[in-house]
Amino acid sequence: MRKVLVLNPTDNIAICLADMDAGTVIDQDNLKLTITQKIPRGHKVASKAVKKGEGIIKYGERMGHATKDISVGEHVHTHNVLGDRLSTEVSQ
Amino acid sequence: MSITGFAHKGRGVGIRDHQLILPSVVCSTHVSRKIANEVGALTFAHQNGCGIIGIDVPGVDNFFIELANHPNVQSVLVVSLGCETIQGPELLPKINQELSRLLVIQESGGATGTYEAGVVQAKQLRDNFKSEPKEVERLVVGLDLARNVENLAEIKSALTASGFAVEIEDKKGVSEHNLAKLMSKKVHIIFSFADENQPPSGFPLIPVINIASTSPLHAALSAEFDLLSDVKISEMIELLTKVCQGEKTKSEVSGIGEIVAPRAVRSV
Amino acid sequence: MSLTGYKRSDGRWGFRNHVLILPLHQILSAAARDIEEQSNGAVAVSHDWSQMVEKDHERLIHSLAGNATNPNLYATILLRLGTPIEDEVITRAKSYGKTKLVEISLSDFKSLDKLTQAGVTEANKLLTEANNEQRVAAPFSAIVLGLECGGSDAYSGITANPALGVASDKLVAQGATSILGETMEILGAEHLLAKRAITKEVGQQIIDVVARYEASINYEGIDIRGAQPSRGNIEGGLSTLEEKSLGAAKKAGNAQFTGVLEYAIAPTKAGLYFMDTPGHDIEQLTGFGAAGVNITVFTTGRGTPTGSAVMPTIKVATNTEMATAIPDIIDLNSGTIADGTQTLEENGEEIYNLILDVANGQLTKAELGGHHEFNLSRLYGSSDKLISYARSIHRT
Repeated sequence: MRKVLVLNPTDNIAICLADMDAGTVIDQDNLKLTITQKIPRGHKVASKAVKKGEGIIKYGERMGHATKDISVGEHVHTHNVLGDRLSTEVSQ
Repeated sequence: MSITGFAHKGRGVGIRDHQLILPSVVCSTHVSRKIANEVGALTFAHQNGCGIIGIDVPGVDNFFIELANHPNVQSVLVVSLGCETIQGPELLPKINQELSRLLVIQESGGATGTYEAGVVQAKQLRDNFKSEPKEVERLVVGLDLARNVENLAEIKSALTASGFAVEIEDKKGVSEHNLAKLMSKKVHIIFSFADENQPPSGFPLIPVINIASTSPLHAALSAEFDLLSDVKISEMIELLTKVCQGEKTKSEVSGIGEIVAPRAVRSV
Repeated sequence: MSLTGYKRSDGRWGFRNHVLILPLHQILSAAARDIEEQSNGAVAVSHDWSQMVEKDHERLIHSLAGNATNPNLYATILLRLGTPIEDEVITRAKSYGKTKLVEISLSDFKSLDKLTQAGVTEANKLLTEANNEQRVAAPFSAIVLGLECGGSDAYSGITANPALGVASDKLVAQGATSILGETMEILGAEHLLAKRAITKEVGQQIIDVVARYEASINYEGIDIRGAQPSRGNIEGGLSTLEEKSLGAAKKAGNAQFTGVLEYAIAPTKAGLYFMDTPGHDIEQLTGFGAAGVNITVFTTGRGTPTGSAVMPTIKVATNTEMATAIPDIIDLNSGTIADGTQTLEENGEEIYNLILDVANGQLTKAELGGHHEFNLSRLYGSSDKLISYARSIHRT
């Protein structure tokens, strides 16, 4: 059973299908990475490195931008991502 | 004038001993109603708690806290869903810690599980913590002036002469805003002077004595008013005292009055 | 699978034959609840309107009159005080549909007890008539499907929403009407939906309705996080509004958009529509009810028990963990798609079949639980400020 789900080949994140502990190795289809932090079920893991300001791509579409450099295997969520719209969103 | 009330630790002395089932979001109002009906507690339907932004977030949050901390409240069971804006686990610590519990529908086995757990907890809260009788040192009477009241000055002086404190809210038109503000001021009981084109009002936590005007609508609905327009002030004080000692007002018997939380910004 | 329903004299179809108790002043909500409890199956709603003329007057009158004449209703008992503003609601309701309307006024019955007893007697009489009415064979165009999501999580856009999109596409292809709402939850995906509009104008309307909405939030200068995405959405793995929207928009499948509707306005012909509704679950349900929606599918990741008095509301779980933890509020589980035990099309077909079963009379968990949530939606005047503001920042 796959541990993570890649929704679109252009995505730079994958969805964890179960709670993941740091150190978990993913090796499925053509995706090989080690999860570096505890990531809850349903949350995103970086499948490609993302520079600060670069778009986060999910379903092949831009869903916001990185507020810090993100390395492969890191948890991607409100602590390092911000939406592009509604500028009043303030990074937590 | 000495009135014996109920000692509610951390909340003050009330003239009612209400258990409040407090839904923190619209999605938990039905489960709260089923629990309240089963154990004979009070609750209210509302449409808030989620999708609110800006000043409405503290506005609704504070409103729930004030309801939970009112002196007429014996105990509170907060029923939340789990994913809403106003989070139950964050609301609970802001409520007076005496006899306050929380259930989260998404964590307590859904609607059925939460209902069953809620009935058990509500009964425990009520049966294991009987309120001690205590004299009400400062009994506060609220005046809802949704219409003009000519003899307001005499009413106020008669009330203070009888040993009552008085709080007034006089936004004209609809009573619901005045009642909510009077609740925030922790009034024990309310005289409501409804607008000529509005029905008698009600507020589940606080006994409301409705006094009719001479308007055609009030004449038609006179059976639901406690006192009519020609009432003497002495008769008002007499009824006020009986209600403070436990006699139910008409709106308490009928259970009318949806509690309206303060909102100023659209839902998102 | 064949479809049956109640054919209404105005040409619309009902999949329920309810008797609704609708108070026309918040003070009568208690009586409405009592009549529901004491009658043989009437359904009641409560609300907080005190008949004051507010900035949202048109929106409130329309919501009340529209729900009073929803096609799922055999009759509506209107609880009145006897005030002139109530006549405005009743006149409007008569212009929307041929639903039987019975007025019971406190001014006539004098006391709430007598009003309640009269309500129970009238409700039971109407329920007997309703129960004698037979269902007849109905075309697929009878279906006016509401697409809703609430308490979403990261699985919503992967399992339940796209699966609902499969069912919605199939029904629209068969001549049904399907309505997607929640303007905030297509903000960030509206360009994708606009590409699927049948005309350039409809595509522009989709862009405009989102720009207008965004302006209203920007105008308020408010950080919307905690509300959109909500606390539960964020806990469920949704990090930004755009991410939530990209998932939410999948409820509308791939069909073309026939048009854009203002809040609670009924479409005039079949097809897939977008309706400008708040993301607030119950304000959306109330808007659907006023627009004549007769069945709703409501996807949820965190789990919510809510439903509607006038529309059967099918709850679809986005993940297996929640579906098995709180089964009493879930009708169908789409988590199997993420588990790899069902494909999107297989689960979508299940949703399609369940929609028909429920339309044919099968009760949903929300109906069995007695959930009749109802909320009047207000903009509190933010609509006046934002229309001029929206034009200034209009984006093409």
